[in-house]
Amino acid sequence: MKEREERHPLQSSDGELDRVTGLDSSKTETSGAPLLIVDHVQLGYVVDGRTNVAVEEVSFEVRRGEKIILLGPSGCGKSTLLKAIAGFIEPVSGRISIESHELVRPGPDRAVVFQEFDQLFPWRTVSDNVAYALRVTGKEKREAEAAAGRFIEMTGLSHAADRYPHQLSGGMKQRVAIARALALEPLMLLMDEPFGSLDAQTRSRLQGELNEIATRTGVTILFVTHSIQEALLIGHRIVVLGQSPSKVEEIVDVRNVEDPDTEEFIEVRRHLRELLAGEGEDVNHAVFE
Amino acid sequence: MRWSSLPTVIRRSILLVAIVLLWQIYVSVSGVSPLLFSSPVDIAEAFLEGWISGELAAATLVTLQILGLGMLIGMLVAAVLTTFATWTQIGDDVLVLLTSMLNPLPAIAILPLAILWFGLSPAALVFVIANAVTWPIAINVSTGFRTVNPTILMVGRNLGLRGFRLVKDVLMPAALPHTISGLKTGWAFGWRTIIAAELVFGVAGGGGGLGYFINDARYFLRIPEVFAGLVTIALIGIALDAVFTWIERRTVIRWGMKSGT
Repeated sequence: MKEREERHPLQSSDGELDRVTGLDSSKTETSGAPLLIVDHVQLGYVVDGRTNVAVEEVSFEVRRGEKIILLGPSGCGKSTLLKAIAGFIEPVSGRISIESHELVRPGPDRAVVFQEFDQLFPWRTVSDNVAYALRVTGKEKREAEAAAGRFIEMTGLSHAADRYPHQLSGGMKQRVAIARALALEPLMLLMDEPFGSLDAQTRSRLQGELNEIATRTGVTILFVTHSIQEALLIGHRIVVLGQSPSKVEEIVDVRNVEDPDTEEFIEVRRHLRELLAGEGEDVNHAVFE
Repeated sequence: MRWSSLPTVIRRSILLVAIVLLWQIYVSVSGVSPLLFSSPVDIAEAFLEGWISGELAAATLVTLQILGLGMLIGMLVAAVLTTFATWTQIGDDVLVLLTSMLNPLPAIAILPLAILWFGLSPAALVFVIANAVTWPIAINVSTGFRTVNPTILMVGRNLGLRGFRLVKDVLMPAALPHTISGLKTGWAFGWRTIIAAELVFGVAGGGGGLGYFINDARYFLRIPEVFAGLVTIALIGIALDAVFTWIERRTVIRWGMKSGT
């Protein structure tokens, strides 16, 4: 099983992937009106009539085809913010809108990939996990199965299509979750520390694979992490959140910062470390990995 | 060859044969009164005769019918209670209170009341069985529903699932391990209870199930038939356990939601 993991997952040709997703693979540049607008959003929960604020006030925009990172220390409310964008939590105040429509409830247009390995339905095989998601969202059985097969191939899991989730490694489970989310052809992919529970090697391999898939499909991604390294490797722009109750500290454009050996990369990383370090406790955990 | 290296089936078969042999030898050699104890050969004879004549089959059928009806009613009541417990806090409180009061009470203890309310009729038995199976099923299923992993629930909602479809496609399969173990416990309680209840009925002179069969055989000193009745009860118990194991192998064990044995 370990050896299979090593195999490169993107064996299919570019043409195949374009057919799969119906998206223009040349479109790596972000463009047009914002896809997602987070406007003065405050998040919290009410206890005995008093509001405990988790996210003080956050505003940012995500454009089509963009990979945007929510970076912040543990417990800063970045996952809460992602869940609000997914529609699981209602903001205390402020507006979240996608394609100019205010969010009402969770929906497959914002497909979520969670950190937890148990996000797959254990009673369904790999291919059925993906196909079921497509059937629920309105595809015919045969069409759903065919599309599931293509997206499973895209994440390099064709050989495991008939396995049940408990027969997969952590990395494979996360790949299935990504395949399932992509198969929904969402307006955007919401990823909540999807590689946070993986070992370092699998993690860095999946980061690379995600970048390739994003480039090929042009899918818009909102990615939550507490790792600066991961933020720099994946993101176009990084929304840096402070300690809870959090605010946006800064939005850093890192589109041209890719090579970890360049002066620029090191400079941006230092800057991000300082931003997070200003937030006091938990710095070691959040920054140096 | 070492004992522990033999396959389980072989080990158990050897032990079973050994026990039956010792038993047979004891009865043959010791001269124990046949009015107190029967030999395996006599029991096998009575068992076969009972099934060929249809007497044991008829008794088994009566018992299983009453058990089935009681289980069905128990499951329905459990389903209603669980639904309320899952969706409302007061329903949950009611279920927890009722379960903690009634589950520790051996179901057979309410038989006198059941006889008072329903007379010496099958209805009294059904009532006692329903009471015996309702609580273990209800508490297990509602625990299953309440402990569904929140991530998988969010995945379901993320796909746009709501209401009944979310319950049917996500909550129910996710709670299946608990549901099966609830049914298993419920069946075990029900099986023990109905035999006990029938024995009491036998003493009181009514009924026609396996418990009655055993008591009747004792009354007329047909001791091998008493044992044949006991063997039948044990075999049905084993068979139903096997059915549950089979269901588990095909579902929750296959899906890695419960470790196999």
